[in-house]
Amino acid sequence: MVDLNFFKTLLFTFMACFGFCIVLHMHSPRQMIFACMGGVVGWAIYLLIAPWLQETVCYLIASVAVTLYSEAMARIFKEPVTGFLLIGVIPMVPGGPIYYTMEYCINGQTEKFVESFLRTFGIAGALAVGVLFVSSSMNLYRAVHASIQSRRS
Amino acid sequence: MAESFDYTTLLNVATEIGFDLLQNGAEIYRVEDSVRRIFVAYGILNSDVFTIPSCILVTINDEQGRPLTRIRRLTASTTNIMRIERYNSLCRQICRTQPDFAWIRSEIDSIDHSPCYSLLVQIFATALISFSFTLFYGGNLLDALVAFVCGFILKPIFYTMQKYNSNGFFNNIICSAVITVLAVLAYHFSIAGHYDKIIIGTLMNLVPGIAITNVMRDIIAGDLLSGTIKFIEALLVALGIALGAGLAITAMRLLAIL
Repeated sequence: MVDLNFFKTLLFTFMACFGFCIVLHMHSPRQMIFACMGGVVGWAIYLLIAPWLQETVCYLIASVAVTLYSEAMARIFKEPVTGFLLIGVIPMVPGGPIYYTMEYCINGQTEKFVESFLRTFGIAGALAVGVLFVSSSMNLYRAVHASIQSRRS
Repeated sequence: MAESFDYTTLLNVATEIGFDLLQNGAEIYRVEDSVRRIFVAYGILNSDVFTIPSCILVTINDEQGRPLTRIRRLTASTTNIMRIERYNSLCRQICRTQPDFAWIRSEIDSIDHSPCYSLLVQIFATALISFSFTLFYGGNLLDALVAFVCGFILKPIFYTMQKYNSNGFFNNIICSAVITVLAVLAYHFSIAGHYDKIIIGTLMNLVPGIAITNVMRDIIAGDLLSGTIKFIEALLVALGIALGAGLAITAMRLLAIL
């Protein structure tokens, strides 16, 4: 599990995220490194829990982790969370499943096509729900915190 | 606050900032919130801002109660994290210090003309993404090198089509088809072993990850209309990619290349 391949995959994740940092015009080098680390952390968590849990659940947990990480980084850097989050979820985007869904479709393998189609939607959904869950909780926390602060002063 | 308070200029400046944020891929709530905060900073408490991904509407009342409205239509948007951050901090600064409008104008200008990565750097970045994702999805080094070349070709095509305002859906179909043809040709001439890995790796550049994330962030903030629009956009992108690759593979099979 945690072998050479594990670290190789994480290195590739980092490289891919770095590419996206440039394509999405992130400029501060320090921020770029931490944004890429978000992608690496998310994927590392996914790989570590993948043997034990169902795939969609793994994606959900990894996406929760990435969102938490992004919110934390946004606080530390005092920048919008947008950039960190966009880069962080990149490795989890179901590019492979989209392709295989299409391939099963043109091969006429209907059963596999439906299965793969639902899998793709499952992954995208898990990703979305993870982001929704954490971001909403953070917003709620912030609102409650602000109202307590204003009542005190 | 200045003696001759100019509502029209304030409206224009605030709308400009909102429009620029939207254009550079900020979330809807960030756009609306920023504009509203600017008005509050200058003492206008009842402003109304409505934004969808393709349009921004801003209305305030001047001192006589006459309504002033500005609408800006957005046709194409990109994602530029650096500019979002700079507009965000400009907005915070405006709220803190209420500077005069000429200064804000010059600041907006300087952000608009701030240097971005050149096309060549972006092409290399695209190639790097293709290279890394091919390895990530289990291709070998040879596959990754072919993907690097594919990425190198992908970006200029995509950029040119965008420049001439080609339909985004059509754009994705063409790009995806071109990449698939290249990958299959590389496989045919036994340069690379896994054409599927090359295609996936390169197409990761087009896959709507950003759109999916943004959809959720809009829906969290309660912008269901914008969320729906972006969701359809993400679906269309995914569909375009699948359609392009599918058409190309089918064509290659008919020509007996695959």
